[in-house]
Amino acid sequence: MSSARNNPLAGTAAAANPPLLEVRDLNLEFRTRDGCVRALEGVNLHLKKGEIVGLVGESGSGKSVLSYALLGISDRAARITGGAASFGGIDLLGADARTLAELRGREISMVFQSPRTALNPIRRVGDQIEDVLRRHAIARGADLSRGLREGAIQALREVAIPDPERRLQAYPFELSGGMCQRVMIALALACRPSLLIADEPTTGLDVTTQAAVMDLITGLARERQMATLFITHDLALAADYCDRIVVMHAGQAVEDAVTSSLFRAPRHPYTRRLISSTPGPSGSLASLAPVPGNLPDLRRDDLPACRFAERCESADQRCRRVRPLLGEREVALAHRVACWYPADLGADTTSDAASNQGALG
Amino acid sequence: MSAPRSFWSHARHVLTENPVTLFAALLFAALVVLAIAGPWIAPFDPLASNSSAALQPPSARHWFGTDALGRDMLSRVIIATRLDLGIALAAVAASFVIGLPLGLAAGYFGGWWDRIVTRLSDTIMAFPLFVLAMGIVAALGNTVGNIVLATAVINLPFYIRVARAEANVRRSAGWIEAAKLSGNRDLRILAVHLLPNALPAAAVQVSLNMGWAILNAAGLSFIGLGVRPPEPEWGILVAEGAQYIVSGEWWVSLFPGAALMLAVFTFNLLGDALRDLLDPRRRS
Amino acid sequence: MTRVATFSADGHRDALPGDGAPASAEPLLRVERLRKFFPIASGRGSQLHAVDDVSLTVGRGESLGLVGESGCGKSTLARLLARLHDPTDGRIVFDGSDIGSIPASRFARRSDRARIQMVFQDPTDSLNPRFTAADAIAEPLKLLDRLQGEALRVRVAELAAQVGLPAELLPRYPHQLSGGQKARVGIARALSVRPDLLILDEPTAALDVSVQAVVLQLLERLRRELGLSLIFVSHDLNVVRLLTERVAVMYLGEIVEIGPSEQVFRQPLHPYTRALISSIPGQGPRIRLQGEARSPIDPPAGACRFHGRCPEGQDRCGREKPRLVSLEVRAAACLLVAKQVSSEG
Repeated sequence: MSSARNNPLAGTAAAANPPLLEVRDLNLEFRTRDGCVRALEGVNLHLKKGEIVGLVGESGSGKSVLSYALLGISDRAARITGGAASFGGIDLLGADARTLAELRGREISMVFQSPRTALNPIRRVGDQIEDVLRRHAIARGADLSRGLREGAIQALREVAIPDPERRLQAYPFELSGGMCQRVMIALALACRPSLLIADEPTTGLDVTTQAAVMDLITGLARERQMATLFITHDLALAADYCDRIVVMHAGQAVEDAVTSSLFRAPRHPYTRRLISSTPGPSGSLASLAPVPGNLPDLRRDDLPACRFAERCESADQRCRRVRPLLGEREVALAHRVACWYPADLGADTTSDAASNQGALG
Repeated sequence: MSAPRSFWSHARHVLTENPVTLFAALLFAALVVLAIAGPWIAPFDPLASNSSAALQPPSARHWFGTDALGRDMLSRVIIATRLDLGIALAAVAASFVIGLPLGLAAGYFGGWWDRIVTRLSDTIMAFPLFVLAMGIVAALGNTVGNIVLATAVINLPFYIRVARAEANVRRSAGWIEAAKLSGNRDLRILAVHLLPNALPAAAVQVSLNMGWAILNAAGLSFIGLGVRPPEPEWGILVAEGAQYIVSGEWWVSLFPGAALMLAVFTFNLLGDALRDLLDPRRRS
Repeated sequence: MTRVATFSADGHRDALPGDGAPASAEPLLRVERLRKFFPIASGRGSQLHAVDDVSLTVGRGESLGLVGESGCGKSTLARLLARLHDPTDGRIVFDGSDIGSIPASRFARRSDRARIQMVFQDPTDSLNPRFTAADAIAEPLKLLDRLQGEALRVRVAELAAQVGLPAELLPRYPHQLSGGQKARVGIARALSVRPDLLILDEPTAALDVSVQAVVLQLLERLRRELGLSLIFVSHDLNVVRLLTERVAVMYLGEIVEIGPSEQVFRQPLHPYTRALISSIPGQGPRIRLQGEARSPIDPPAGACRFHGRCPEGQDRCGREKPRLVSLEVRAAACLLVAKQVSSEG
């Protein structure tokens, strides 16, 4: 399995390959009984065709919220208060329901976290795949007939499910977690989308199954040149499979870098802490340096401009008042950071990150 | 995460959040007042007959009109509140007190406990419940006590079922295992841990059951089982007035019927409010 | 800071300076041929072998890791050792007395109950939603230590401070606490009655990585300060390596490898352990396992349970059941390892 670092596409800032998905300055909030939760602020993200990008963050970072907003499946209490998101030129945020329905499943697909709950428990697996095929085949005016069943079998075969003809008849509860996840991937990829969003697809799976599922997703992505946004809290997992990683903290995108660059020289204080608090194959317990403080309450009116400011040892007044933007300079596109005092790109960073990055990088 | 509210501020919040809840609470309060203070509120003696004033339509003097014996309908309806509510309360309380522990034990222990209790519940539910109630009252005798008993019996399965489901869902939860590690024996787990967690669901059941129990008592009295005339009770009042509807004296049945409807309605609305009140998760 | 541990042949650790109590020859916990079978409803006498013929020891102040994937039996084993379930067969000897023979339902009020405690995986699921944090921590103190009133309050406050839980959070309900805070409540509750053995069932699996780091460091500190023995159940090998001296790898109810953590991670003997370690992200070339684990219902008695998925399996693995074979301080249940051991004399 070729690792992300060997991929020739990684790190290319070629203008010849315009972004397929582009999110600019996205602001999103939730109106709740207890106040307004500012879940996303000024998020910038882009994805090129064939790129595998990891969106990494802890709970409350807004990574899932972002993906739901892109697909138009946010909670009803969600309000987009600024910014834009476009896919292949189509404005995602302003699109009407019909356009979005067309896009979902056919051009943009999503794989969810708990496969068993994301699949309909009372319908057979084959029927669910056929549903997706039928929905989009009708839209394309394609011929239905017996092609649907064949299409479903083919979809199952592509995700390496043994004995697909028999598995068509199975209900989700009859399949193991790993198998259910493969079915969900089959569902998502049935219509050959050009963008796949995978939201924590391996959480809850065994580590051997996790490896197999990740191999499957990235293998198919490379084969079909499918852009993939891989959402996870597991930094090491993202390191292993993604070309590029975007780190999120409290609704803000704080660092965006090619994987190798991110781990060789993490520039944002949060990223550095995140790396050093992740147990790796080497290093000791004492060397784990957890992130100080807690996630700020996103309902506050007085949130600092950089939301990491209260937990950061290098923060000052400027950090609290003016939000640092993800750098836009061309030369730094392969490694951007939203910080007023980032570590230098060339400098090797703190020693506590070094002990872990040997294995992760 | 926010700090907890006190129980009273939470209660206030629940009542004001939804206007329907407030409305139901006020109605309930009104019913309770009528039940307790009925004899002092009623303008006339409900048992005093006056044949010269028989079957008079609603007027300024008799707001609800009079019945065939000249008794004031308003007074009779008001006084009946006490009996109806009292029967329902007694019956539901009995069902609750017996059914909840049985159901919890069935859901938590499983095995033989579960089998026996479920069989009992199934047996009761195999009958059309009203018919079963009729049978019990007819067999044991025509008294108010037996109406309470019959109503309690037919409501038992609801509490058994709710409690059993709540216990079953939680029996393998981490905090039950933790409770065992903390030194709880099974009985204490049932009483201290499972029971409070089953209360919100049971509370909704109580409220719905109150409405149903009132209807049940009224129904039994309507057909002549249970409460005997001249004791005023909504069911009997409706029965007494039934024969006069055809001849145009609609008020004799209508007002007791409306009171019944209002009471049942109140309890149905109250169910959700009760649950919200008792569930600590809704306190913030 | 590494500790150099020496081990005797059965895997039990010799005394080290810095151990709490003087190490006795008798380990704190001795498990002998433990079995837990669940009858399957199909009625033909089928049994699900959740835990099958497991033997191990845990010394005083020692920490043992228990790793494996879902269905391997580690959680069942943890609950058997915590005496929440009764074993089908085998012995559990704790500090010299056979506690396995006492039914779980009666174990709750014995004096031994306080000596073995457990911390659960999902902090949300492990707290009664109607108990405040203070109630949860106080309960074992009330029931097992019979503390009340002021003494109880003081002890609860002391425990909260010990686990780093701010005192103002004590009156809160679980849904008003964060994941990390709930985890601390669970730990405080488990430690309240001063157990000798603490069993942790994936205590940080549901937590964010930075919170996890804090909780792990807390556990290590408490272990050193209180001289606890730990059994740490986890599927996260990186975490297990950090917190344990010895580790046992389980597969389909059996222990397939056991030995000092560092050695098992650096040089796994059993093919399954090798595949498991290679699956950790960042560990280099991955050994891919075919298919899925076979069913734990009525496994074949005369064959290796890993046969069929094992990348190194041979024919005889399907005909002969491997036993745990010792290699100095380590042991593995694999015919290929056994062959290597015997050929080396």
